[in-house]
Amino acid sequence: MTAGVATANIGGLKEKLKALIDRKQLASLEVCVRCGICTESCHYYRSEPRLEHTPFYRAEQLRKIYRHLFDPVARRFHRWFNSEVPSDELLRQLAEIAFSTCTLCQRCTLDCPFSVDTADIMRAARALATATGNAPEMLVELADAAIAKGENIEVFKDYYLDQVKELEKHVQDQTGSSKAAIPVGKEGARILYVPLSGAHTIVPQAVLFNLAQESWTLSLFETSNYAYFLADASRARRIAQRIVTEAEQLKVEEVVITECGHGYPVMRWEVARWLGRRLPFRVRSIIEVLDEYLRRGALRLNPRNNGQPLTYHDSCNLGRKGGLFEEPRRIIRAVAHDYREMNPNRIYSFCCGAGSGLVAIPEWADIRLKAGKLKAEQIRQTGARIVVTSCDNCRHQIGELSDHYGLNIRVTSLSELVVEALA
Amino acid sequence: MSDFTIAAGVLTLGAAICAGGLGWLIVTAQRWRFDSDVAPAKGSAAKGILYAFTMGMLPWEKESARIHRVAYVRGVAFHLGIFLGVAFLALTPWLNVLPLLVRLSFSAIMAAAAIAGLAGFWLRFHDRMLRAVSTPDDYAALTLATLFLVSGSFCAAHMELLPLFWIVSGVTLAYTPFSKLRHFIYFFFARGFFGLMFGYRGILK
Repeated sequence: MTAGVATANIGGLKEKLKALIDRKQLASLEVCVRCGICTESCHYYRSEPRLEHTPFYRAEQLRKIYRHLFDPVARRFHRWFNSEVPSDELLRQLAEIAFSTCTLCQRCTLDCPFSVDTADIMRAARALATATGNAPEMLVELADAAIAKGENIEVFKDYYLDQVKELEKHVQDQTGSSKAAIPVGKEGARILYVPLSGAHTIVPQAVLFNLAQESWTLSLFETSNYAYFLADASRARRIAQRIVTEAEQLKVEEVVITECGHGYPVMRWEVARWLGRRLPFRVRSIIEVLDEYLRRGALRLNPRNNGQPLTYHDSCNLGRKGGLFEEPRRIIRAVAHDYREMNPNRIYSFCCGAGSGLVAIPEWADIRLKAGKLKAEQIRQTGARIVVTSCDNCRHQIGELSDHYGLNIRVTSLSELVVEALA
Repeated sequence: MSDFTIAAGVLTLGAAICAGGLGWLIVTAQRWRFDSDVAPAKGSAAKGILYAFTMGMLPWEKESARIHRVAYVRGVAFHLGIFLGVAFLALTPWLNVLPLLVRLSFSAIMAAAAIAGLAGFWLRFHDRMLRAVSTPDDYAALTLATLFLVSGSFCAAHMELLPLFWIVSGVTLAYTPFSKLRHFIYFFFARGFFGLMFGYRGILK
């Protein structure tokens, strides 16, 4: 018996992996024939072509462990079938691959003739890394901090309300109305709006809600859920539960998620699964709400205010995982007149290179900037001066890509773009 | 004991191992949890599944198929040949009543698929990355599937080679549940799950 077997506790590991993998992931683990057709689907590979950046190589690292734990024939003939004892070192390597060389963008799934969901396999690898203590500490700390905030909201509340009062002045300035407000904890409001931690996800939206005469209230919590990046359903459920409880207490009709890539699919799809019940309110992205406002003429706009050429970056979470492709484009066409598409776009859009928590880990900045090379080239080819994106991680990454690759562009959100177009 | 009897025995044993092994895999797969979406649908799961098994399979729907045109066409030809080969295997008890034209058609298709199988070796050897991740099982599975097609093609043209085809088929079937050849079962699940999720969530328009 090797040291790896003893330290990794094979029996315990098998139980953990069995609990973490579902039937969909099982099918993806089993169906891959390593044909290599997915190779160029990956932005990591396109930006830096090497074996470690191919989807099939990444997934094979978990498959080796899966075969050892669950396939007795592969375990017996390990060289023939490529199975490997899950040593501590192997688990550590798997964690690094899952967290730093895959942004779970799911683009390769579209390209695979068998629909192997490598993102889902990497999600299982992340879950295993979290369960075995190999996940990045930064993500664990951010997730735990969010849980602690939910458990001690009274400690944070007064400070938060003071900050909101300050932001309210900006909203009054921009709307030209002293009655414009940022309500918090308003029972019976139609919408509970969940921002991120940053004024840019509160002020522009508050301006638009006020101008559209919306019945709304601001959440005490932020939509980001770092436990989702850890693939830790238990922590992720606790973080999301804060918003569910708030929405239920305020009896809102819908929860509207700010422009946040992962925040939308988490609240729209995952939370109901984690809780095992349908939520008693509707969940929409602010993009869908703005699209609705523009379609019913709730806002007076002047597209000439946005004269510079601009392009839109489809966040993987909002697009390929959320189906929001046309809504942002309708909004942009209503508020700007020189819109240019990147190619490819929509469902085949490339990841910016910072998805699934990569942007939160400073020591991996070099990796994500290299992985974003392809996106930088796409942006450059459009000739756009403004890049619009509806995910804060993408926004941060594209801003850094601009500096790194000399793109000389400005990055903004849809909400801010709409505010800039107000007549 | 005649060659024919021995071949029939190998085929029967191989088929039994294959059926038992694949049945076991399907049964044990049900022991893994299934996480379905609970939130209200944004699209249609049924349409998504239909897309996954129809339009979603077409090469022009995939960027990868345009980049790997040869590999994609090779893969399609190879797998279609295998499906037809299995159909031919099922027809072999009535081989002597099959019209010559039908037999020669089977023979030609399986021969073309066998060439696609041989091309698979070339692709796997030629691409340094595929070579790096390929396992002995990859080559064994490809060898058996190609031999199955070659022997099937010969048998369709020359009926006296039926015992050879049955023996190769028996060995291939026996190997299937333990090797990557079993991927054909998971193919239907993986495509189905893809269509289910992308359809239900309204991602496929």
